[in-house]
Amino acid sequence: MSEFRVTLSPALGGRAAVSRKGISVEAQPEGTLLHLLVDPTMGDAVRLAADLMAAGLELRPLTTGQWFAVGDTALAHADLAALSATLKPQADIVDQSHGRVRIIVKGKMAARVLSKGTAVDLDIAVFPVGHATTTLFGHISAHVTRIGEDAFELIVLRGFAESLWDELAQMSLEFS
Amino acid sequence: MASLVTCPHCGKRPKEEFTVKGAALTRPAVDAAQDVWFDYVYLRDNPRGAYQEYWHHTSGCRRWLVVTRDTATHEIFQCHDAAERGEVTA
Ligand SMILES: [Zn+2]
Repeated sequence: MSEFRVTLSPALGGRAAVSRKGISVEAQPEGTLLHLLVDPTMGDAVRLAADLMAAGLELRPLTTGQWFAVGDTALAHADLAALSATLKPQADIVDQSHGRVRIIVKGKMAARVLSKGTAVDLDIAVFPVGHATTTLFGHISAHVTRIGEDAFELIVLRGFAESLWDELAQMSLEFS
Repeated sequence: MASLVTCPHCGKRPKEEFTVKGAALTRPAVDAAQDVWFDYVYLRDNPRGAYQEYWHHTSGCRRWLVVTRDTATHEIFQCHDAAERGEVTA
């Protein structure tokens, strides 16, 4: 972990929230985004979640043995180092705060708009609140979590954030 | 080519989310004869019918899978995580 944080201008800094009838698209603050690589044989995941919650972070399932931990505020270097030490040897952290951006898509039409971009079935019966997966939206790979009945969080690589944003703005045009 | 692949982790996904590495072959012993290694690295049977390949779910769970599919009918018979079995049959 680097001793100094690189200060970046927000990837979607210039973008005002897209607000339409039954759908809105907003950029989240570029706070903390950690990639967790977890050894499932080392103790239980409940403790892991508790440690992260204490640091003000929420867990998002990513893939087998891997999670994202996200938060709206940037963790100080010392706090991140302390968290990293607490989680070892059960989990290793890769700080991705500089590398991935979060976008919230919410409203009654959110699932309908997102369905234009992905083959994943977003019906709440099979994709309940808290469920997450990685998929293609058009040609852009993004991680999607249902954070509410009508709300989704997209996590996308920083370099693709503007493209995904533009596509979401376009896909939601029919509801303006 | 098959257009929908049922990933054991993610469910049914379009083939665009995957990267195909090629035939899932059993790796020869390190000291196997040169012609055995030549066969393993370069020669493919290109069968009409069942074929077993390594597929990577690049835009999904990023796990390596072993997909058994029919090269003629595009039907997928089986799809499992490559880590589930140490060895593959080909
Ligand atoms: Zn998958």
